[in-house]
Amino acid sequence: MATEASTAAVTATVPQRRRRKATVWHRLLRHRLFVTGMFLFTLVAIGAIFADVLTTADPQKMSVRTRFEPPSLSYIFGTDNFGRSQWARVLYGAQLSLMIGLGVVVLNAIFGTLVGALAGYFRSLDNILMRIADAFMAFPVILLAIGITAALGPGSINAVIALAAVYTPRTARIVRASVLVAREMEYVQAAKACGAGDWRILRRHILPNCMAPLIVQLTFIFAYAVLSEAVLSFLGLGAQPPIPTWGNIISEGRQYIREAPWITLIPGIVLAATVLGLNLLGDGLRDVLDPRLKVQQ
Amino acid sequence: MQSPWTRPFWLVGLGLASLLTAPAAMAETFTCPETGGDLVFGQEAKVNSLDMHASSTISTRNIAMHLFEALMTRDENNNPILELAESVTTSDDGLTYTFTLRDGITFHDGSAMTSADVAASFARYNELGIERTILANVDRWETPDDLTFVIHMSVAQPTFLEDLSSFSVPIVIVPEENAGADPLELEPVGTGPFKLVEFIPDSHVKVERFEEYVPNAAYEDRTGFGGYKVACLDTVTFRIVTEPGSRVAGLETGELQAVEDVPQASVERLNANPDIAIVPYENFWIHIATPNFERPPTDNPLVRRAIAAALDMDEIMLVATDGAYNTNFGFQTSNRKVYSDAGSEFFNVNDPELAKKLLEEAGYAGEELVLLTNRDYTTMYNAALVMAEQLQDIGMNVRLEVQDWPATIATRNENPDAWNYHFTGWGTNTSLGYLAVFKFLAPPRAIYALFDPDTYGDPVFNEAYQDMVSLDTFEGRAEAFARAQHRVMEHGLALPFGWLTKNQATRSNVHNFVPFRIPRMYNVWMEQAS
Amino acid sequence: MIAYVIRRLLYVIPVLFIVSLISFSLMQLVPGDPAVVVAGLSATPDEVERVREQLGLNEPFYIQLLSWYGNLLQGDLGTSFLLGRPVVEVTVERLPVSLSIALYALVLTLVFGIVLGIIAALRQNTWVDQAVMTAALIGVSLPNFWLGLILIVVFAVHLGWLPSGGYVDFREDPWAWLRATTLPAISLAMLQMGLLARITRSTMLEVLRQDYIRTARAKGLPEHVVVGKHALKNVMIPVITVIGIIFSLLLSGSVVIETIFSIPGVGSLLGSAILRRDYPVIQGGLLLVATMLLLLNLLVDVLYAYFDPRVRYDGD
Repeated sequence: MATEASTAAVTATVPQRRRRKATVWHRLLRHRLFVTGMFLFTLVAIGAIFADVLTTADPQKMSVRTRFEPPSLSYIFGTDNFGRSQWARVLYGAQLSLMIGLGVVVLNAIFGTLVGALAGYFRSLDNILMRIADAFMAFPVILLAIGITAALGPGSINAVIALAAVYTPRTARIVRASVLVAREMEYVQAAKACGAGDWRILRRHILPNCMAPLIVQLTFIFAYAVLSEAVLSFLGLGAQPPIPTWGNIISEGRQYIREAPWITLIPGIVLAATVLGLNLLGDGLRDVLDPRLKVQQ
Repeated sequence: MQSPWTRPFWLVGLGLASLLTAPAAMAETFTCPETGGDLVFGQEAKVNSLDMHASSTISTRNIAMHLFEALMTRDENNNPILELAESVTTSDDGLTYTFTLRDGITFHDGSAMTSADVAASFARYNELGIERTILANVDRWETPDDLTFVIHMSVAQPTFLEDLSSFSVPIVIVPEENAGADPLELEPVGTGPFKLVEFIPDSHVKVERFEEYVPNAAYEDRTGFGGYKVACLDTVTFRIVTEPGSRVAGLETGELQAVEDVPQASVERLNANPDIAIVPYENFWIHIATPNFERPPTDNPLVRRAIAAALDMDEIMLVATDGAYNTNFGFQTSNRKVYSDAGSEFFNVNDPELAKKLLEEAGYAGEELVLLTNRDYTTMYNAALVMAEQLQDIGMNVRLEVQDWPATIATRNENPDAWNYHFTGWGTNTSLGYLAVFKFLAPPRAIYALFDPDTYGDPVFNEAYQDMVSLDTFEGRAEAFARAQHRVMEHGLALPFGWLTKNQATRSNVHNFVPFRIPRMYNVWMEQAS
Repeated sequence: MIAYVIRRLLYVIPVLFIVSLISFSLMQLVPGDPAVVVAGLSATPDEVERVREQLGLNEPFYIQLLSWYGNLLQGDLGTSFLLGRPVVEVTVERLPVSLSIALYALVLTLVFGIVLGIIAALRQNTWVDQAVMTAALIGVSLPNFWLGLILIVVFAVHLGWLPSGGYVDFREDPWAWLRATTLPAISLAMLQMGLLARITRSTMLEVLRQDYIRTARAKGLPEHVVVGKHALKNVMIPVITVIGIIFSLLLSGSVVIETIFSIPGVGSLLGSAILRRDYPVIQGGLLLVATMLLLLNLLVDVLYAYFDPRVRYDGD
C-alpha cells in the first residue's frame, strides 16, 4: 500500500545539505532499533563476505564418517546427512541470500524508479502503467514468484528475476506517489516555465525528492526478498543443490528434524535474524528520513 | 483341440503352476480373528484419480487395487494366478485363450459380473489403457455365454498370460455401463473386497467393507494381489500425508494406524516404541541411474566402465537411504528362479585407481558429466549428490541438474543434449519379473538411445532381449535374460546402485499387515480396545 | 455513490484482463511436460507421447490461448491434466478449506494485532510497548514455513496437543476443525499479526494526538470512553484498508503452509500443480485467486467510500 503523502523536502543549498546529512547520521546512530538492526545485519554480512576466511571447509564436501555430528567445537553448527559442515553451508548460504537480496534491490531501484517516475510524471503513461502494476499486485506475492520461477526454471538468477518482477510494481507505486507530489511543487513548475527539459526536471528536481521513501522501501524489499528467496529454495525453485542456500538447507534437513534438529534450526534462526536486522534498519531509516511514512508493503 | 490350463507349457519351468488351480486344500481358510475397526493409513503421494486403466501412478494403485480386480493377477512370488476367472485354457496353436469367469461375482453397485462387463473393460483398456501394448497381438475377443470370455490372438505370444496378469496397470473389470468413461474419469465401482465411501482429492480416500464380496475359494489366504481376500476392517481411510515427519508423528500419536515410507532416520526411535511395529519392505525397487549414449562423455563405453569402476555403492546407498538398502547384485532378486549373477564383476567395484586408468584409456578430457536428478524422491537426490562427489574424486567434471520428477522425465525423453545419467527407481517392472525388468532398455525406443537407435543402440543387448521375450522354453528365456543382464553391466546400459528397502509401519494393534506392491488392507485386522 | 462504484468497476476490468494475460502466458514458458505425469512413473516414451496427443499439448501457443479465452468467457477454465476434472470444480471445492483457514488466521491477526497494537500505543515507551513491538518485529521476520515445521515438532510431536497435519471439515466436526487448523493458522498469521500490531500502534498514536481526543479528554470523559469510543473508531479505518493486503498475504502463505500441514486447500493444489506441470490448474487457480482478491479490494474500497465520503471524490 503506497502512502500518498511524502515529505516535501525543499532543495537545499550545498552546505545545508551536508549539515542535514550529518544530522541524519547522528539521528540514525541514536536510534536504538536502527543500531540493533545494523548490528544484526553487519554480523550476517561479515559472515557472508568473509565466508572463505571464517571456514576452510568446502560447503559441498561430503564425508560419510561425519554424518549427523551435533554442534561442537570441531563442527560449530554440526554436520548434515552427507557429513557436510553446516557452518560452511550456512556462511555460504548467507553469501547467496544477500547477493540475491541485493540483486532484487538493485533491479527494483532501477525499474521501480523508472516505471514510477514515468507514471507519475507523464500522465499519459500513468493509466496503463499503473493498471499493469495493479494486475501484478493482484496476485499473492509468493504465488506469483513461484509461478514465475516455475516458468523460467529453478535457479538463483531466475529467483532474482521473479522476485524483482513481483516487487517492482510496489516500488513503482511509492516512487510514483512521491513524483506526483513533487511535480506540483512551485520550483518544479518554475523550472518548467524556464523551459527545462522533462528529463532534466525529473533527474535534477523530482527524483532527489523521492529518495527518502525509496530508500526505506528498498530496505524492506531487501528483507522480503531474502525471506521469499528462502521460500522459493525451500520449494526447490531457488539455487540448485549442492549449492547451499538457507531454504535448501532447511528443506533437506526437515526429514531429520527430530534426530538432527540443528540442521533445520540454525539456518532458520540466521534467516530470521537477517530479516529482523533489515526490518529494524528499515524502521530506523523511516523514522529518521521520512517520519510520515507509516504503512509499508 | 484345447489343452486345459493346468499344464501351460510356458509355465512348467516355473514349477508354480499348481498355484493356479490349487483346489481348496486341507489347510484352513483365513478368517478374521477380529472383525471391525477403522484404520487410517498415511500415504506419501497424492492421488490424481482412481481410474486403474488410465493412471499408472503408484498412489493410484495403492488404493484402487482394493476396489478393483482383474481376470488374472500375481501371487506373493509374482507368479501369474487367476483372480476373477476360474480357469483358462490355451489352444494348442497358442492363438486362443478361453476364460471361464467365477460365478456369483457382484460389483459394488449390486449388478452381477458377466462376460459382457469383461469385454467392455477390455475394450476401454484397449482404447486408453496405459499399457495397452499388452493387447497388441490380440485380434478380437468374444463372449459365447455370460461366463465365458474368449481371446483370439493374431499371432501366438507365449508370454501373453504373463503380460495379462501384470499389476502395473492391470485390466481391471468394471461394469459395462461405466466402461465408456473418459481417461481418469472411471467410476470407482469394481468387484474388490472394499468399496468407495468418499474420495476427497489431496485429502483422503475412504473405503469400507463390501459386504457382498465373495472370496476366491480356490485359495486359503491372500497371496499377492489375489487369493482368498477378506475385509476384516470396517473402513480404511487412505490419508495423504506428504511430509515424512508428519507421517511419523501421526503414527506416534495414534492419529494414523499405519503409514508407508518411514524415513530410516526415524526407524530406530520407532523400534523402541512398543506401540509401533516397523514392517520393512525389502527390494522395493532397484535404485538406478540410466545413461545417455547420445551425449559425451557417456557415449564412450570406456568412460561408462570407468564410472562403474569408481563407484562405492555401499556409500551411495547408505547416504541415499540412511541404511534402508542392500547392495545385492542382480536385476532380479536371488529367490527368483531366473536369478543370475552374470555381470556382477562390473558392480560395486569401488576401485578409483582402475577408474582413473580407464578414464585415461578412454581419452577423457574433462567433458562435463550431467547427473539429472529430482527432489521429489529424496533417495534419488541423495544418490546423485554422493555419486557426483565420488566421480569428482577421480577427476571428472560433474554437474548436478536437479528438477522435479516430471521435468526430469521430460528432459530425459526430449533433450539428449542435456543429461548423462538419469536417476530413477525400477520397482514395478522389476517385481513383475525378468520379462518386464528391461522394458526401458528394449528396442526400438531404448532410453539410452532414444533419438538415434541405429547408431547408439546396442545390438548385443537387443539380440539377447529378443530371445528373452520370444523363446519357447523357460530355460531358453532364462539364459537369454542372463546374457542381457551381463551385457547391461559390461556395456553400462544401466547403473544400478542397490536395492531400496521401503519401510512401512503400523500401530502394534494392527495385525497381518504385509505390504506387497501396495499396502494391502485385506486380511489385515485390528485388535480393538475393549 | 453509484457513480463511484461504476468507476471502480471500470477500473477493475482492464486489470482483470491483464491478470488473465499474465496467468496464461506465465505457464506457457514452463519447460516441463505434463504428459509425463499423467502417463506415470513407469511409462515408456511411447506411452508419454500418446498421452501428450490425447491432451492436445501439441497445439501451437496462439491456438491454446484463443481456445483458453473462448472457454474462459463461458466460465470454463479447462480440465486439470492430473485430476481429469474441471479446474473451476477442483478449485472451488478446495476454496472453503483455504478460506476457512485464512479467515481463522485473519481473526487471529485482527484480534492479536489490534489489541497488541493498542496496548503498545497506550503504554507508549514503557516496557510493555517495547515487549510487544519486539515480539511484533520478530513475528514479521520469521519464515512461516520454518515456523510451521517448528510448531509441528513442538506441539504435535513433543507435546501431542494438536495434530501434525490433515484437515477436517468444519461442518463435520467443528472441534476437530479447530484442532487441525490452529497450527497452520498461527504459522500463517504470525507475520500479519506483527504487521498489524505495528500499523495499529502508529495509527493509534497519531489518533491520540488529534484535537478531538484532546477535547474529549479535556471534557473529563473517562479514559476507556475516550479510547473505546473515539479513538478506536478512527483506528479501524486504516485497518480496514489493509485487510485486503492481509488476506492476500495469508493466501500467499498457504502454498507452503498447506503443503507442510497436508491440507487439501487451494494453496497445496497450486503448489502441486506447479510441480506437476498441470497448466490449466495453475492458470485457472492464479486467475481465480487474483480475481477474488481484486473483488475483495473493490468491496473494501466501496465500504470505505461508504463510511468516509471524502474518498469518493479522490479521483484515482
